[in-house]
Amino acid sequence: MRRSTLASRVGLPVAVAALLLFTLLPVYWMITTALDPQASLRGADVLPTGWTLDNFSTVLDQGNFGRFLLNSAIVGVATIVVSGLLALFAAVAVARFKFKFRTSVLIMVLIVQMVPLEALVIPLFIQMRDYELLNSLLGLSIVYIALSLPFAIWTLRGFVLTVPKEVEEAAYIDGCSWWRMFRSVLLPLVAPGLVATSVFAFITAWNEFVFAYTFMKDSEKYSAAVGIYQFFGEHGTDWGAVMSASTLITIPVLIFFIIVQRRLASGLAAGAVKG
Amino acid sequence: MTENLVDEAAPAPVKEPARPRRTSGEALARRRRLTSVTRPWLLLAPSLAVLAALLLWPLIQVGKLSFQEYAVKFGGGVGTWVGFDNYSGLLEQSDFWKTVLPNTVLFTFACVALTLGVGTLVALLLNRLGPAWKVICSTSIMAAWAMPAITGTYVWVWLFAAQDGLFPKALDAVGLVDAETANFFTDRLSFYLIATLNVVHHSFPFVAITVLAGLVTIPKELYEAAMLDGANAWQRFWRVTVPTIKPVFTVVTILSTIWDFKVFTQIYAMPGGNGTQPEMANLGVFSYIQAFAKQDYGTGAAAAVMLTLVLIVITIIYIRTLFKEGEDL
Repeated sequence: MRRSTLASRVGLPVAVAALLLFTLLPVYWMITTALDPQASLRGADVLPTGWTLDNFSTVLDQGNFGRFLLNSAIVGVATIVVSGLLALFAAVAVARFKFKFRTSVLIMVLIVQMVPLEALVIPLFIQMRDYELLNSLLGLSIVYIALSLPFAIWTLRGFVLTVPKEVEEAAYIDGCSWWRMFRSVLLPLVAPGLVATSVFAFITAWNEFVFAYTFMKDSEKYSAAVGIYQFFGEHGTDWGAVMSASTLITIPVLIFFIIVQRRLASGLAAGAVKG
Repeated sequence: MTENLVDEAAPAPVKEPARPRRTSGEALARRRRLTSVTRPWLLLAPSLAVLAALLLWPLIQVGKLSFQEYAVKFGGGVGTWVGFDNYSGLLEQSDFWKTVLPNTVLFTFACVALTLGVGTLVALLLNRLGPAWKVICSTSIMAAWAMPAITGTYVWVWLFAAQDGLFPKALDAVGLVDAETANFFTDRLSFYLIATLNVVHHSFPFVAITVLAGLVTIPKELYEAAMLDGANAWQRFWRVTVPTIKPVFTVVTILSTIWDFKVFTQIYAMPGGNGTQPEMANLGVFSYIQAFAKQDYGTGAAAAVMLTLVLIVITIIYIRTLFKEGEDL
């Protein structure tokens, strides 16, 4: 737009300021409250009443959050390793081969992704109880692998499609077997996509609440999300501590998200716009 | 075959070592054809097995459970078939009609409308910014997006916390409420306003990024032509932008509806959201409380099945939309 009207000269900065305020206020308030020695006295002040790290040592020592964060990390890593591998195989199958029911498989993957967790949690709770996988990080990881698979397959399919077929054919001409081609040609080329997908799967597992809350009743096995829920139940008015626990859970996700933002955002957008 | 035999009978030229292997070459081709049929299924098998065992099978189970009275006896649970009793019991509850259903529908509608409105406005804004401000704004949007549902909820609860929260104090200062007595979490409307704010804050980034991706594909000439015809910004948006990227809007609307219909954590983790204030439940929370707090798995499953059916209908509409766009799956 070449025209620069009064409205756009004033309106644009105002809109940017409003956007930044709306998006960043919760993050800002969370972090500053976490550093505040007397959070409940702060009121509506822009700056906290002081600066301290005591809240963090409270939640790590008394709240046992070190354990919870470790549990979440273990479950998250187990999830990304398995779901990344399975999704990559499946993505190659639907992106590279023409076979009967290919479209049906893709649509089924799309539909199961939309199923509400509330409907799955009741039967899976009963199932996991029968297999004695409640209170087990393994049981939780298995569920998260399933939850993150559909999205991972769809995203990776997009990345596999961007690899030109000629590259694969060249590998065959050089005498590669399919498996060799997959390891030495396809895998390195879709690695960036695999990283983005894994980050997303990790975040899914890290953030998930319903299953972790239902399955994990032993306080040593809490994930971070369950840990903060229980902590809030016991120390609801100690806002400094609740917000420092929130900060500990949020920061890793925030960093991951901003690192992969470009790839993730364009992948998601492409996934939504192009199916 | 005969040709092959003749070939084999003929003396093989020394410089063509591949020639004598032609019979096996045919077998190889057949094997190749076979692997091209089986390989995709072998690659898919692990994923399909996991999805079948952990998503499809439980869905069948929850359907079965919704027609049963399930009691936990030692050594496992026992289900007794009761036909449609769980559903009729559910539909006879006045709570279901007076609170659960209106909560779910109105909340979803408000969230979708606001998410789309805010998301689109932000996309239009991002599209007009210079590179530096665009990076700053999109990074701050990512911060909103990245906030986990559970911690995001606690931050909003803290912002509105009775007595000490930012908003009660600020509103007290301008004389709108009394911070000492006001509690935003006991009133259904204000409870849901906070939940809406929380959900919109978390979900508008997806809409903004997706719509922005659509906006950049619109040819500039369309706007220039519209401006020559004297269209103002409002008209340009409704007459050029919306029709051109209508598929994008359709997709984000449907996806937002699906996501906002099944909101759980953001309600459950709020004060009173876990069943101590039953009138605050939406369909998902209601189902969960019936099953796990009241041990009435049958009614919980019935509510869950209804939620699933609604979502599957919306999903089918979504898939049809994708196909109508001529998407080649």
